[in-house]
Amino acid sequence: MTKVEAVIQTSKLDAVKDALHEIGVEGMTVLEARGHGRQKGHTEVYRGREYTVDLIPKIKIEMVLADDLVEKAVAAIESAARTGKIGDGKIFLTKVDDAIRIRNGERGESAL
Amino acid sequence: MAIRASLGSELRELYADESVRIQKNFAANGNGHEALLARTTLVESIALRLWRELISPDTSGPPGFALVALGGFGRRWLFPHSDIDLLFLHSAGSTEKQLKDRIRQFSQEIWDLRLKLSPATRTLADCDRFDPKNVEFVISLLDSRYLAGDRELFDRLHNNAIPKLAVRESQNIVKRLAELTRERYNKFGDSVFHLEPNLKDGPGGLRDYNLACWLALLSAMEAQRAWPAEERPLPVSVRKQFDLAVDFLMSARCFLHLRHTRDDNTLTWEAQDEAAARRIGVGGEEELSASDWMRIYFGHARTIHRVCTRMLDEIPAGGTTLYRQFQNLRSRLSNSEFSVVGDLIFLRDQDAPRDPELLLRTFRFMARHGLNLSSTAESQIEQVLPLVAASPPQGAGLWHNLQETLLAPHAAEALREMHSLRLLTILLPEFEGIDALVVRDYSHRFTVDEHTFVAIENLHLLRQSQSTWDQRYAELLEEIEQPDLLYLSLLLHDIGKGAKTENHVLASVEIAKRSMDRLDLDEPDRETVLFLISHHLELSATLRRDIFDPETIRQLAEKMETPERLKMMCLLTYADIKAVNPEALTPWKAENIWQLYIGTANYMLRSVDERFHVNLDDEVMTHLRTLAPAAGKKLESFLEGLPRRYLRTHAAGDVLGHMEMAGHIGTDPVQLGLKRGRHWFDLTLVTPDRPFLFANVAGVLAAWGMNIVKAAAFSNQEGIVVDTFYFTDRFRTLELNLPEWERFKASIHDVLLGRANLEQMLRDRLRAEKKTTPKVKIETQVEIDDACSAQSTLVELIAQDQPGLLHRISSKFSSENCNIEIALIETEGQMAIDVFYLTSGGAKLTPGHQARLRAALIDELLQK
Repeated sequence: MTKVEAVIQTSKLDAVKDALHEIGVEGMTVLEARGHGRQKGHTEVYRGREYTVDLIPKIKIEMVLADDLVEKAVAAIESAARTGKIGDGKIFLTKVDDAIRIRNGERGESAL
Repeated sequence: MAIRASLGSELRELYADESVRIQKNFAANGNGHEALLARTTLVESIALRLWRELISPDTSGPPGFALVALGGFGRRWLFPHSDIDLLFLHSAGSTEKQLKDRIRQFSQEIWDLRLKLSPATRTLADCDRFDPKNVEFVISLLDSRYLAGDRELFDRLHNNAIPKLAVRESQNIVKRLAELTRERYNKFGDSVFHLEPNLKDGPGGLRDYNLACWLALLSAMEAQRAWPAEERPLPVSVRKQFDLAVDFLMSARCFLHLRHTRDDNTLTWEAQDEAAARRIGVGGEEELSASDWMRIYFGHARTIHRVCTRMLDEIPAGGTTLYRQFQNLRSRLSNSEFSVVGDLIFLRDQDAPRDPELLLRTFRFMARHGLNLSSTAESQIEQVLPLVAASPPQGAGLWHNLQETLLAPHAAEALREMHSLRLLTILLPEFEGIDALVVRDYSHRFTVDEHTFVAIENLHLLRQSQSTWDQRYAELLEEIEQPDLLYLSLLLHDIGKGAKTENHVLASVEIAKRSMDRLDLDEPDRETVLFLISHHLELSATLRRDIFDPETIRQLAEKMETPERLKMMCLLTYADIKAVNPEALTPWKAENIWQLYIGTANYMLRSVDERFHVNLDDEVMTHLRTLAPAAGKKLESFLEGLPRRYLRTHAAGDVLGHMEMAGHIGTDPVQLGLKRGRHWFDLTLVTPDRPFLFANVAGVLAAWGMNIVKAAAFSNQEGIVVDTFYFTDRFRTLELNLPEWERFKASIHDVLLGRANLEQMLRDRLRAEKKTTPKVKIETQVEIDDACSAQSTLVELIAQDQPGLLHRISSKFSSENCNIEIALIETEGQMAIDVFYLTSGGAKLTPGHQARLRAALIDELLQK
């Protein structure tokens, strides 16, 4: 099992969700996030006050997948979230030891 | 004493068989009350069998010890999975020690039957003490019932100890009950109207019904110093409604327990579907939709909640309510129409509600002061509602009252009360469609009507909020010119959700039109409200785009049309999202809305000098040509080259009016129009452009003591200028003296034609002005932006507002050879925020010219 974490543009959430559903990913956790990579923020002045946006709003998607689905999911996220411009985001993969469904104690891939 | 091994299995079997029988009967007849009684009898018979087996073969023994049913068991309300509250009552500590093991075994046997026993062991003396940390025990005693043991001991508890305790501690018990109720309500967002409500603990649930009974009982005991003759001395006026409500809720909770096989009282959507299909609590056989069944539930819950909160409000703090009324008759809020006692409104004239004007004023009064209606006032109003319904108030009078209510800080509470009494749906029958309407959306927490009230509340609460996020929105709310229209838009924004259609926004627009016909709203106001309703999801939708992409911003700016509409939409979105559920407006979202707002507001400011060309703008031209078919070339030459913003900020009627004024320039080169609006006076000037024009008009206004709050200046390709000044009349010169209107206009006319000396007029005025120290110090800022426009240089000035400021600034532009192409003037409190698009010799200002102008402006503004 692998945990897939993807940080994407807010505007790409619907497209990424649809792409993941298409390849059979059923569940995911979506978090409102804020941050920056090499892409830094900007400053907007309104009514004489400066509003600095040094952390840019992003969406973070997390899901744990069976290993045979991981590469398909990565490809789906990449193609749905890519604009080719700076700030498109990143995908992180981590190995997961086990998963437990709290309701009935099921373990492993069947708990996903 | 040991229990026979067979008795345990016999009782288990009995309990299981009887429970199945109860369940079957309920499935057949849906009678919750009967099911509760049956389970109470069953549990009671088991308790008595165990008593005879373990405690005493004679159910009336042993002396000095009794078994008492408390709480729900005491009042014979055992739902299928309710706890069983039992009191082991001892006359003294000696029996407690003697019977300790047998009581433990008794309890063990009940637990082994998988019944949830909540036992309490007390001596009679313990029961006479009030523990504020355990008011629940005192309350459970109010429902105490003898089961077995020493009858005389129970009588001493029931007939002496409890009444004495209730009378002595009545105030404390009620106070504590009120605190617990507030805490309980808080958990449910203080609202009856949840999409998946809790039938027991939610506001308007069975706990509230019991609370009302306890309060009535305590009040009667305090007055009679004994148990009252009636078991539930509820006010006569509410008994019938209460009986209906409690029968419904009993059946519904019984259904939930059996469905969920545990003490789970949440009416989930799936449970709502099943309850409606089985017509739980309703009877009959006709098909019933889940939303209609929920409306019946909400109707009952609303009744219980209303009566319950009134009873809590009216519990006398020291003496009877009548006494308090007398005591507080001179409450500082009382007036000739209403007397205010504590937080409650009483109508001085009991026939008053017959006057629809006064009826509506009552709710305005409520909204302004955050008071509640007394139950007397409420029933007086309820009695006249049929009369009001026969001939409901409407038109401008109704709108005026609704406007005042919406603008008042406690508008949401007043609207809820109007809705609860059915007055709101009499006034705006269109609201009926969303009454207690459950729309299944996982993110929403409340019914559609309650969501609407919460949204209105959210905007009013902005004024009290301490959060940095909210502060920005609070400031924006202060800037709105017509907040009443924003609140009305919120009231109607989801009204189409009751219509059976895919697109509730379109339905809301259509239904809102009918409401506004009823309110007889002016055409521009209607347009604003319809715009806000039809675009109310626009900002939320844009948040799903890249909000830092200039194209996203441009598109939103195009849709919002004017900065004022953008501001209103920003606030509407804030309030709407926050009303979805308490966690819906995360700081992440609030920040994104704000960034989107300022990005779009700045875009609008920096793109205002895009010019209009008649050949390229067919849609606008077609509309105007339809309105004035005979205008032809005259219209085209007037519009050619005017900034787009001019068309965005002026209604078609105004544009045609200005065109007419421009047509009369040949007769008189200074065309003036003066109107009085709701908030300020509105002066329009159409004239050929000339140096110092804007500065001179600003100067005359200052000389007359007028305070310019907003201004705009636009010019077309032919050099005809349309200037609009919005000002307040500080000395009420125009307001009180009608002949002064002509003298005022003549004075502008004469100054512009060089027939009067402006400097002399200004000196006279400024001499008369008292020097005042500003309450808030505003730092002067001059920003020059040469990149945002292709034709002009933008100068943005932020400075301390003071008489004659605009005249001084604009004179400085003219003396520095700058031509004002566009001026956008705003005043927020003591801050003047002025934006000018300047040219010199028909082009942008050179860098050197910009530097000289900046220095000159700073020099001018620093002069006191």
